[in-house]
Amino acid sequence: MEYGLRLTTPREVPSDPREACPPDWRDLLPEGRAVALYFGTEFCEDRLPDLEEASAYCGAARDRGLEATLTTPLVSPEGLRAIDRLLGSLASDGWHPAVVFNDWGVLELLQERHPALPRRAGRLVNRSLRDPRAYRDATAGTASHDASRFTRLHALLRRFGVEAVETDADLEGGFLGDGGDDGGRPLGRALHFPFTYAASGRGCPLKAALYPEGGGFAQAFADPCPAPCRGKPLSVRRADTALPHWRAGNTLFYEPPHEATRAWLPHADRIVIHPMAAP
Amino acid sequence: MKILAPIKSADEVRPLAEAGAGEFYCGVTPPGWEAAFGQAAVHRRSARSAGVSGLGELRRIVALAGAAPVFATLNAPSYPAGAIPRLVEFGRALVEESGIAALIVAELELVLALGDAGLAGRVHVSSLATCRNPGAASFYRTLGVSRVILPRHMTLAEIEQTAIPGLEWEAFLLNDGCAFEEGTCSTTHAFRPYCIDDQVGHSQGRLDERYAFWKWTLNNCGCQTSRGYTLGPCGLCALARLERAGVESLKVVGREAPLARKLGSVRLASLALRLAEGGATRETIRDAVVAERGAPELCESAHLCYYPDVWADSLPKPRQGQAPSTRRAPGHPPAAPAASARRVVPIRVDTPAPQPPARNGPC
Repeated sequence: MEYGLRLTTPREVPSDPREACPPDWRDLLPEGRAVALYFGTEFCEDRLPDLEEASAYCGAARDRGLEATLTTPLVSPEGLRAIDRLLGSLASDGWHPAVVFNDWGVLELLQERHPALPRRAGRLVNRSLRDPRAYRDATAGTASHDASRFTRLHALLRRFGVEAVETDADLEGGFLGDGGDDGGRPLGRALHFPFTYAASGRGCPLKAALYPEGGGFAQAFADPCPAPCRGKPLSVRRADTALPHWRAGNTLFYEPPHEATRAWLPHADRIVIHPMAAP
Repeated sequence: MKILAPIKSADEVRPLAEAGAGEFYCGVTPPGWEAAFGQAAVHRRSARSAGVSGLGELRRIVALAGAAPVFATLNAPSYPAGAIPRLVEFGRALVEESGIAALIVAELELVLALGDAGLAGRVHVSSLATCRNPGAASFYRTLGVSRVILPRHMTLAEIEQTAIPGLEWEAFLLNDGCAFEEGTCSTTHAFRPYCIDDQVGHSQGRLDERYAFWKWTLNNCGCQTSRGYTLGPCGLCALARLERAGVESLKVVGREAPLARKLGSVRLASLALRLAEGGATRETIRDAVVAERGAPELCESAHLCYYPDVWADSLPKPRQGQAPSTRRAPGHPPAAPAASARRVVPIRVDTPAPQPPARNGPC
């Protein structure tokens, strides 16, 4: 197994990638070595790194022999331009990170403006159900892991030069494929671990807290945000599920049952460790 | 621009058309679906409460609609193994035999499969596909689809940049908001809407109240009506800008709603559209809508706006000292509660409002 590390700071890269994982989850992880350092954001364009931060991650990755991997979220037109500017500036400085896209516009951007960068399809490309309440009666999960659900999508991704598909543990499985070639070049398979996203959006309550009464939420969709979520995620309790929930900025994450998550491991070549839930 | 009305039975066609609907959309389930795929959803809404009862009823709808096109939803965010071939054949039958003008599709695997079957030109990409920028629009255009439905959570300025030529564009106009981006909400209403029970976090106090208020407006102010009109998210004041952006179709949400609610929504949309086509200002449209619907309080602070940036010059700005130019805030304590006094928006409704219910689906 190979590992990616999605750290919130580039300063502390552990020698054993499993050390970055929340302790409750480490026992599930097989031995392996880190190959990639993830940074950026999958869920909130306001948390896209600036050039200084991105360069720091790229430098830390180079120093440790890891592939720098920039995650990108669904984006507005301005967010698309920001990614273009960032990738252009990084290239000018000699950095050529892999890019995880979650927006088809970002894939188009990579095709047209940054064709040399390796690209990976992120977890929002996979729109399978992840409702945490579904585990109440099926703690092992119900995923069939039937790769035929995504045959055409995988072929499309190959045509666009995509190297790998990434997801978290959903309720259905199959997005990562079966490791075969489906009649074409095999796609790498990465599992984000251990947090699954439940829901995300632009109406961020933490951002709304920066506004006076009557402001924030829909009225601030396009306003840039200083990202008050950069501290720690908030623990969230729900009466309808016992699974641990976390609010990380504009996104709700949860920790699926270990049993259900374990069933995903044979379908992955890479595990992307998240020390904490982050958008 | 045309008003796109939700529909679930043939009885609704004529009154909705007379009220101003120029297009219709509905949900219909393939015969034998439940036996093959159990509770897996065909649509984003409940087939039982929001769907057309069967193919015979669907054909009556199409016949009564006449020149007005009828679209069918196959817009679940994902489908179980084996469902795609079944849905492609069903989609083909809807188009070729039942007179459906286009299929509203969210899942990309199904979009691609319909394309392989020669039906790409009859596909409308659902708002669940979250096409939010011109690059994504270009991607869908290369797939040969005919229309893209913009997601709810976009500003007018973003729509103006995203609505590229070579596609038809549809935007939300009235009713039923979502707290999350619908395309990135990976939960199901089958358990009850996930957002209803969502709270910000421990001890957030006033912020939770503000969040709850926002969700309440999205939920049509607790499913209330005023003079028969739904008090839900509304984009009527933005019609002129939507038209200039190239939006051709204006979506009224609520397939499962009673006919009276659908009629009220289409009438209100029709009134505003006539004004917009006559060159009315946003203020003129707002005043006319409020005069007809009531509940002016909800418009005073843009609480119901699908596109609040139509009033950008009057929206609240971030509190001083927390300006967006502060790029980083490492270790910032998350979500400091607002300090100002509790605020409510009492609504004067002319029709007795139902109590805000604990409900299992949209109003």
